[in-house]
Amino acid sequence: MRVLAVQEYFGLAAKAIRFIFARPFYLGDVVQQMDSIGVESLGIVLLTGFFTGMVLALQTSVQMAQFGATMYIGRLVTASMVRELGPVLAAILVAGRVGSGIAAQIGSMRVTEQIDALNTLGVDPIKKLVTPRLLAALIMMPVLTILSDTVGIGGGNVIATAYVGIPTGLYWRTVWEQIASGGFILHYIPSDFVQGLVKPFVFGGIIAITGCYFGINTKGGTEGVGNATTRTVVVASVLILVIDYFLTQVLLFLFG
Amino acid sequence: MSDAPRDTKGAPAPPEHDEEHGATPDDDEPRLRRAEEELRARFAEELQEGEETQERIGASREAIVELDHVSLAFDRPILENVSFVARRGETIVIAGESGTGKSTTLKLILRLLRPDSGRVIVDGEVLNDVTYEEALVIRQKMGMVFQGAALFDSMSVFENVAFPLREHTQLDDDAIEARVREKLEFVDLEPDRVMDQLPAELSGGMKKRVGIARGMAVNPAIMLYDEPTSGLDPLTTGTITRLIMKLQRELKVTSVVVSHDIRSAFRMASKIALLAEKRIVFFGSPEEMTASQDRYVQEFLGGV
Repeated sequence: MRVLAVQEYFGLAAKAIRFIFARPFYLGDVVQQMDSIGVESLGIVLLTGFFTGMVLALQTSVQMAQFGATMYIGRLVTASMVRELGPVLAAILVAGRVGSGIAAQIGSMRVTEQIDALNTLGVDPIKKLVTPRLLAALIMMPVLTILSDTVGIGGGNVIATAYVGIPTGLYWRTVWEQIASGGFILHYIPSDFVQGLVKPFVFGGIIAITGCYFGINTKGGTEGVGNATTRTVVVASVLILVIDYFLTQVLLFLFG
Repeated sequence: MSDAPRDTKGAPAPPEHDEEHGATPDDDEPRLRRAEEELRARFAEELQEGEETQERIGASREAIVELDHVSLAFDRPILENVSFVARRGETIVIAGESGTGKSTTLKLILRLLRPDSGRVIVDGEVLNDVTYEEALVIRQKMGMVFQGAALFDSMSVFENVAFPLREHTQLDDDAIEARVREKLEFVDLEPDRVMDQLPAELSGGMKKRVGIARGMAVNPAIMLYDEPTSGLDPLTTGTITRLIMKLQRELKVTSVVVSHDIRSAFRMASKIALLAEKRIVFFGSPEEMTASQDRYVQEFLGGV
């Protein structure tokens, strides 16, 4: 049974990806989903990103002080935010906020026969419902992550300057040093950025497909809808954290 | 089956039916004749109306929906060896107790389900063999009205009715609006009042009507209804029944109606298929149904 579910999950993902390239394109739905996945998540992602950057700076300042290396706070905050915390934290938050919403919406469409209605009206529900959400998540997750990284590093700046007394100019120079240290891809794109943006892209896909999968397979009325949302948040969060590890290994192997 | 048939006019309550449907000992005959007369009298009005309707629609002989020895089982058997034919223009009512697989037959016709054995044929196409993508196209010949209407709750009434038109026709915006207005007027809704409303703002009967309007938007040859009158008050039930009859009369669509409301069934049906215990125990006109000697049929009618 479990093996079958995994197969169905990947089957759904494959179909949804294939439909990205097939007419008709539900552009209106994509834009609407980009709004609800991206724009409406902006506040919460920025707020948590800012505080994460601040707490990173605070913790590292205490540790670095022991070695007299507090001037490297900028490097550490940047490396942590861009490579790990930015993508993962934003993804976990979006999984809770958006993934559950997707599961609830599609789940209630399932129990009120609206999915059957789409089918009987000759429209593939995967094309109409899953693909726009997938596409919107694939586009918006990297955008959210970039913004989260930026305010996070900004938050680090606030603490580094206010608590530790590192001049803003120096802070941002160490930030740049860190970004440049990983080398550049195609001469201009810092390798850190590539690593930091592959992850949210993958996580966005996980969130959308997980929400849609549990939504479409909702059984048993309103209670089923509740189960679907809970499972989505749990499964998506676990998948994000586990896949993050393996993805990091691959990315480190490829880009160092 | 309700165990105590409601007995409004003092007719003798039908006895418990034994295993064998239709086996009638001779000494039962006077009782059965009485029962038949009783049933005819009770449903006289509906039968009369039904007969007039059938005369008016004048169904052709060409089969358009056909179930041919269909069996289906999930964890347990749902349907066993079920066969019936709907000819173009006819209205078939599939009646029966709850949980006898009535709605499943609709899902088979729509090819939302595939039979384990037997064939489902819609407008000359054997649905067993078609792919999922081909089925999406064939379904455009059919309009389905769901039990709970199943309107898309994120869309307005207008968008709901316009949805199949946007998907499957090349009509421009003006033509689509004209068509939506026409369909809403057909189901006796005022387009200007309801078009911008969301499904959540409508009453049960209005939702059903919008569901019918959406189902008939692309002018399908076949309309399918899943319990169109369940959960509605008697007045609204009458309205919806009249609406289904108006569709068959004026648009000559073939209808398959799943219902346990036998009064409505007698008013609109060309044929009634009575499902019991996974099988069709009776298939025939309302007239034949009241004349049926089958104890289960009589009990079903008596228990209505």
